[in-house]
Amino acid sequence: MQLSKHRKFTQSINFPIVLRVVGWLLMIEAMFMAAPAVVALIYGETMIAIEFAISIAITLITGLAMNRIRPLNKSMRKREGLLLTATVWVFFSIFGMLPFLFSGTVTGVTDGFFETMSGFTTTGASVIRDVENLPRGILFWRSMMQWIGGMGIILFTLAVLPMLNYKGGVSLFNSEVTGITHERMRPRVSQTAKSLWGMYLVFTALLTTLLILGPMDWYDALCHTMSTVSTGGFSTKNNGLHYWHDYYTDGMIMLFMLLCGINFTIIYNVAVRGRFSEFKRSDTLKWYLSIIALGGVVVFARIMYMGFVDEWQFAAVLAWFDTISAITSTGFATYDYEQEGQFIFFFLIVLMFFGGMAGSTAGGAKIDRFVVLLKNVKNEMYKVVHSNAVTSVRLDGKSVPHMIVEKVLAFLSVYVVVMVAVAVVLTLYGMPAFDALFNSLSAISNIGFGYGEMTNGIDKFAMIHPVAKWLLAFEMLVGRLEVFTVLALFSPGFWKKD
Amino acid sequence: MRIVIAGAGEVGTHLAKMLSNEEQDIIVLDKDEKKLYNLENYNLMTMRGSAVSLDVLKNIQVGAADIFIAVTPHETINIIASSMAKSMGCKKAVARIDNYEFMKPAAKKFFASYGIDTLIYPEYLAAQEVKTAMAHTWVRNWFEMLNGELLVVGVKIRSNSRIVGIKLKDLGGVSHFMHINAIKRNREIIIPGGDDMVLENDIIYIATTRKDIDNVIAVCGKEQHTVERVLIMGGNEIVEQLVYLIGSKYKVKIMHNDLVRCQELADQFPDCNVVHYQAGDTDVLEDEGVEDYDVFVALGESSESNILSCVMAKEMGMRKTIAQVENLQFFNEAESLNIGTIINKKLIASSTIFQMMIDDDTDNAKCLALADAEVAELEVGAGAKVTKADVKDLRLSRDMTIAGLVRDGVGQLVTGSTRLQAGDRVVVFCLSGAIHKIERMFG
Repeated sequence: MQLSKHRKFTQSINFPIVLRVVGWLLMIEAMFMAAPAVVALIYGETMIAIEFAISIAITLITGLAMNRIRPLNKSMRKREGLLLTATVWVFFSIFGMLPFLFSGTVTGVTDGFFETMSGFTTTGASVIRDVENLPRGILFWRSMMQWIGGMGIILFTLAVLPMLNYKGGVSLFNSEVTGITHERMRPRVSQTAKSLWGMYLVFTALLTTLLILGPMDWYDALCHTMSTVSTGGFSTKNNGLHYWHDYYTDGMIMLFMLLCGINFTIIYNVAVRGRFSEFKRSDTLKWYLSIIALGGVVVFARIMYMGFVDEWQFAAVLAWFDTISAITSTGFATYDYEQEGQFIFFFLIVLMFFGGMAGSTAGGAKIDRFVVLLKNVKNEMYKVVHSNAVTSVRLDGKSVPHMIVEKVLAFLSVYVVVMVAVAVVLTLYGMPAFDALFNSLSAISNIGFGYGEMTNGIDKFAMIHPVAKWLLAFEMLVGRLEVFTVLALFSPGFWKKD
Repeated sequence: MRIVIAGAGEVGTHLAKMLSNEEQDIIVLDKDEKKLYNLENYNLMTMRGSAVSLDVLKNIQVGAADIFIAVTPHETINIIASSMAKSMGCKKAVARIDNYEFMKPAAKKFFASYGIDTLIYPEYLAAQEVKTAMAHTWVRNWFEMLNGELLVVGVKIRSNSRIVGIKLKDLGGVSHFMHINAIKRNREIIIPGGDDMVLENDIIYIATTRKDIDNVIAVCGKEQHTVERVLIMGGNEIVEQLVYLIGSKYKVKIMHNDLVRCQELADQFPDCNVVHYQAGDTDVLEDEGVEDYDVFVALGESSESNILSCVMAKEMGMRKTIAQVENLQFFNEAESLNIGTIINKKLIASSTIFQMMIDDDTDNAKCLALADAEVAELEVGAGAKVTKADVKDLRLSRDMTIAGLVRDGVGQLVTGSTRLQAGDRVVVFCLSGAIHKIERMFG
């Protein structure tokens, strides 16, 4: 009896190797932290630079210490892969909030963790009410966290360090990259990771240059670029992009949000390999672009009809900017619809739920899954009449195996269940029902809009109860790693012997 | 190296996993998404589509590939696909076939004209391996390297061997004529150093020259039996090829559980005895008089029943047993169960591919795959790393050892003070996952 109890949990999870790799990754985080420290020095914020230096030192020392763990065997399988992917994001958030705490930007671990997790998961929800008065270094770090998290922490490591480039690295790749199936554009995972990060860097460089040509200075340009290409949504101004009120800037940011919501594999195949047929072949891309085009028309018509703004040009920019910002889960705040138009607001919520394309930096449940869902529903409708019909779900000109369709349906169900469950708990802490539901969606889809009386209309989460903050931070991670990676850790089957 | 594998069947999947572990760039092509899905957790890229589609081949940039391996279940598709791949610019094309005629030298020119460099016929090669195993009943594996100048053999060591329990560095007087490349103990294989020793029940891999083979037999406490009568269980293609190879030399009896196939075999091989037995009939071995036979070969479809019947035959006094074990997970188990020699089609296919990997000019290299190690033969290039110092100072990584070499047509073993020269042909024994390092060391 005692023996069976003793052996109930699996012994096979190789914790030492997980910790050791987390150690490696923390050292990488420390390296990233050096950038905001330099920015702080440039702007003469000596104290901030010193605080960053302390944070770097703590992160580096912890990383080195963890890296000294010598695992008995180096095998890393599925369990270790899932565990590592999920915990790395938590570790990154814990150490990433150090500069916020030291500089007094936020008070308390709850706010710090919320803000950092919101950054790394590219949610962009903020507990900070007044960002304009924050030190430059801190603001830079906020944007940079999104940039790191947008393409992925693990993916970066796979690209630059050879040590994860063995069999274990593959399960890491699969658990961090979004999408139904995890496409690889080149034979080895490290090569794929290099290509993805390479494109990401190119996008970053391009947009920064383009924004500097507009009214922004290099600092704001870089910060907003990092927020845009990661589809995060942190701004350096309280009013967001309103501060500049410039069509050129809005247009460029719009364009890159749109690009970064597209599957990077498609962009790679078209831009690098010159295969333009990929554009035509992808059903999902057609859906993505059509939804944006049509969504923009709806929002534009409503704005004009209600007469929110006078100039039609401004209305058009607003309409498409917000449509793209919502569907790619960026969540740059522009116009305050809550006050005037519940319709547009609700319409955008629906788009947020869709999200961008799989394999992009966008959040949400991903359009790919909805296309599969809709096609499956269409088949089921057909079967109501033709009960013996044999049907097939086709995507991009290829049939999708039942196995994958099942996976998609399971994903969407769990996604909604998590969203509603969190919303229910939020109402426990005094949030009105609609606000709770919306904030929960905002977190799991990594958008970062806040809504409701308590949040004062702007995307500020400052007033929420601490428990709710932890819960939302957790939900952001669940959304970023596409539900199963995180939830698997909470299933008994993960820990039990099978 | 960029390698495209068309067909994610048993052989294709095995090749993909193994080559991915060898740090090669692998693209696997199959029409069936489910088969590809099994490969999701391996470091390789999969692509759904037909191997004979020009679009698909173009999409995976087959022109940039170094090796194209067609291992779908259909011979014709394999031939056409490799021919297409070659014409699209792939450096080497390999096709799996199942027709003995194609292996004949006359067919070589024909296939060369279609751009196919190498043909793999795993069943035929397996039959050859069985034949070799019959000729050398005292070993587990028998590899003739460097045109037979050097032999690499796998031997199970019993307590009666003179080398048991002595540190390798103290073995000099007893066994100077052989070089112990690797020791396999409890599922683990190592390249031994001077302080290691051989223990009872180890399987050791020895390199030696032909003239010393009798000494090796004596030192290992083995005995070579003469073989006259062979009992084969199974009715697959390997059986057919095997009977073609050995039918005239030995007295052969074939047992199979499918009556129709039995009739076919009886029609095909009038000199053999063919026996039909009901599946699950355990007495059949006894009824057929196992004790009168010298070798028992189990080539049935199921690895488990092959292993079991070999164990039974052994208990009934059979001297040498040979089993086909396609399930690689059972490989170690089968080895520890005292089965004389284990045949595996996938390993045979891997050998061919490794051969191509080591040397672009396949006629110059040879490679044989074990379950967890490879024996490779290749020429030392001019200015290669290994020529820079004596073998003992080379700091070879712990997963490989140089077994022997041929210089001026004479085979010899390698000792610590040997200095390799460009133009030497060497035999390298390396553990799995290390073969890609060879090129760097010797090329």
